[in-house]
Amino acid sequence: MGPETNKRQGMSMPAGPTAKPGKVRIRRFGLPVMVLLCVLLTWWLVSFFHLFPAYAMPSPGAVLNSFKEEISAGRLVNDIIASLWRVAIGFVVSACLGIPLGLWLGQHAAGRQAFVPMLNFFRFLSPLAWIPFAILWFHIGDKPAIFLIFMATFFPLVLATMSAVATIPKIYFRVARDYNYKGIELLTKVTFPAVLPQVITALRVSYGIAWVVIVAAEMVGCQDGLGYGIWEARNGLRLDSAVCYMITIGVLGMGIDRLLAQLTKLPDVRWGYER
Amino acid sequence: MKLSITGFITGIVLIIVMLGLLRYRPWNHNGSVNIKDVVHDGPNNKAKRQLTVGYLPVTCHLTCPVTDFASKTTHANTNFNSQVFSDFPTVVSALQAKQIQATFMIVPLAMKLREQGVPVRICYLGHRDGSEIVVAKNGKVRSLRDLKGKKVAIPSPYSNQNFVMHKLMEDYGMKPDDITFVVLPPPDMPTSLASGAIDGYFVGEPFCAKAELDGIGRVLYYARDIWPNFISCALVVHEDLIRDNREVVEDLVRGIAQSGAWAETHRAEAARLAAPYYRQDQKVLDYVLLSDPRRVSYVQLTPTDEDLQQIQDMGIKMGLLTKHIPMRELIDRDFVPQTITPALIDAAKIPDPQAGKIH
Amino acid sequence: MSAGVMKDNRSASRLVLENVSHRYGELPVLHNLNLVVNPGELVVLVGPSGCGKTTLLNLLSGHIQPASGTVHREGIIRTVYQHDGLFPWLSVLENISMGLRSVTRKTQRQQEMHELIELIHLEGFEHHYPHELSGGMRQRVELARVLAGDSDILLMDEPFSALDYQTRLRMRHELNRLLVKRPRTVVFVTHDIEEAAQLADRVLVLSNRPATICRELRIHAPRPRDLTDQAVIEAMKAILIELGLQT
Ligand SMILES: Nc1ncnc2c1ncn2[C@@H]1O[C@H](COP(=O)(O)OP(=O)(O)OP(=O)(O)O)[C@@H](O)[C@H]1O
Ligand SMILES: [Mg+2]
Repeated sequence: MGPETNKRQGMSMPAGPTAKPGKVRIRRFGLPVMVLLCVLLTWWLVSFFHLFPAYAMPSPGAVLNSFKEEISAGRLVNDIIASLWRVAIGFVVSACLGIPLGLWLGQHAAGRQAFVPMLNFFRFLSPLAWIPFAILWFHIGDKPAIFLIFMATFFPLVLATMSAVATIPKIYFRVARDYNYKGIELLTKVTFPAVLPQVITALRVSYGIAWVVIVAAEMVGCQDGLGYGIWEARNGLRLDSAVCYMITIGVLGMGIDRLLAQLTKLPDVRWGYER
Repeated sequence: MKLSITGFITGIVLIIVMLGLLRYRPWNHNGSVNIKDVVHDGPNNKAKRQLTVGYLPVTCHLTCPVTDFASKTTHANTNFNSQVFSDFPTVVSALQAKQIQATFMIVPLAMKLREQGVPVRICYLGHRDGSEIVVAKNGKVRSLRDLKGKKVAIPSPYSNQNFVMHKLMEDYGMKPDDITFVVLPPPDMPTSLASGAIDGYFVGEPFCAKAELDGIGRVLYYARDIWPNFISCALVVHEDLIRDNREVVEDLVRGIAQSGAWAETHRAEAARLAAPYYRQDQKVLDYVLLSDPRRVSYVQLTPTDEDLQQIQDMGIKMGLLTKHIPMRELIDRDFVPQTITPALIDAAKIPDPQAGKIH
Repeated sequence: MSAGVMKDNRSASRLVLENVSHRYGELPVLHNLNLVVNPGELVVLVGPSGCGKTTLLNLLSGHIQPASGTVHREGIIRTVYQHDGLFPWLSVLENISMGLRSVTRKTQRQQEMHELIELIHLEGFEHHYPHELSGGMRQRVELARVLAGDSDILLMDEPFSALDYQTRLRMRHELNRLLVKRPRTVVFVTHDIEEAAQLADRVLVLSNRPATICRELRIHAPRPRDLTDQAVIEAMKAILIELGLQT
């Protein structure tokens, strides 16, 4: 087994089209931009020819203006920070509680039997059903929204982590035993890394839920935030500014998801997505 | 790059700390909690006291932002910060939590709160009239009878609009289920009317004006035609504040009374003043305040026993309220000033919202 | 080779089965097995599929307890699995360093790891992850991992069966070579009769379930042995006859 035989087994290249780099770039960036432009054009045409009455369809120009207005008033930035803050806190709290609980449940069959029906029950309750209680218990401000984010993300996270743990191949635990991993070390050095790829996927999914929920959650019990912005625009009969908030929400949501997707590129979780 | 747990946690903590700093801006030692809600910064920041007053961006609550503005631009002892809410359940929650101790609110809701043991009192009224029944512009509806078997939207079961509507139906000899009532958020009412989802609605301004301006609806009845001196909203104050801080409540009621007197005679300026607070198109506000003086008025705002007793009786009859609360427990007229002079607002100080907007 | 981590693994290790029987529920798998594995010996187990070889290894390693009888084991036992025994979230180097967890001095550990990488000819792949390696490379990493540090006994459950024929041949040489440099006591399960004949000091042929040892075959010829060596061919013949595959 000489070194020369090793050479034939190089770094595995990421799978993908083997076309020229230029072409790839056009496809990755050009096509989406074209679709975007088409949608904008359709929108502009629809509002230009008044296919819908003005009150039902704000024009791109009006939306652009309200963007300027909201930014110059500092409201948009403030609302973005408020929403990000709530999502971040709610999400971190639910990850800090949910992932360990999921790890524990995954390893204890009795615990699973005891808790899973309850967890499933809560998972299927729309977080929005909690809105009245959120306001009753936490009044107004950041807390009810954070609570709702927590309720929306906690249960899916626990269940996903749990089933990830339950499906770890037994062989890893045998190897771990051979090499004397016990207790906390077993958890952090074997169980956790073994489920990390699935946990990251679960995090991405529940982040998506969180971002959807924050908008609805902020429509009540809040004084700022992107969801509130939409609600207020509605109250103010300003659909143009509602659209400007909608665009912000969509763009931010997408951007953060791309950031989270970077996590899947880390070398020690890469394996989880490649087989 | 390798994912080290410590690095990852540090990253998360950093992001959170950064967001937290941006959110709470600890370097902003202004002390004013609602700094972002203060639209106008007047010369009167040195007032000794301050109070946050809740309101919704409806013209029934117009005197709230006017008082806010007046307290900052004229000589006053108390700074009033108006805090905008988007719905009444949130206002109730804020009041229960004492995050605000004074707010504008629909009257039956205040009665309901009192019934449930939240110690609030009605100290003053927000307006008279200010609501209309709106029907489709080109529809055939000419009177309430024509609405029989149709769908009419109201903002809340605890709104006085709901009560008044039932009284009117009684007057017309109609049965309570002759009309189907649906509760809708006011902003959705004009569009629902346009799409034919509802046949009419009864709500406060500016949601009636909006339908007229968009060419969707027309006014069937002005509130005053059905129920003279119609009231929908009142100034509600927590008893703790009344007990602990009488001067502030006194300033507040006087401020609102004076603002009302001013708004009644300076309608165009009032619309210009309120537009940035409401984040609404000034056109709509102009229309509400200027098109027809019958739409809304801001004088005669002292609550009388008869006014409120009538509302309570109707609520009890409809089964929405359950307790007879004596009017002397519900109303506190001690703070209403003897003479009401219009607030000394300098119209030149009102910023022109058109300046920053292209429409 | 650093003398510090080297120790005389031959005398420290000991594996004894006494009258061991095992059953899974109603299914008897092993029946009254007696086995002594001598220090430094390479024992190969062959037998029909499903007769209980893996079960036997699990009993030896302590992963399962016998229904009756006793198992004595002394020394640190490590197992090489058929495949996928490496932790996919660790690089080659990190996987190997698992075997060196008892070595506290960093420099010593690094030196040892370096030696092992050299030993399995994977220089340049230290920072690759298992999914970026071929099957043969992965098994070599597994070998390096079990050989690292102070292991005494290696249990191997068909370690090369997932590999192609040529790689399998190479891996046999590799194992021989590694065991010369780092002698260990080995219990090796295989279906490959060639493999058994080429590697074993002693071949144990197991019967059908419930398994007993039906033949014990000593091969005295020194290792490494060529496939075509007389001793190897004779041993293969004996095993085949015992398994009923040749008359
Ligand atoms: N965990 C288990 N529970 C129940 N039965 C089992 C279990 N593990 C193995 N068996 C049964 O025990 C018998 C022996 O299994 P074992 O895995 O030891 O066979 P093996 O000799 O290793 O076979 P192979 O050569 O195919 O790997 C089989 O019939 C199998 O069905
Ligand atoms: Mg087996």
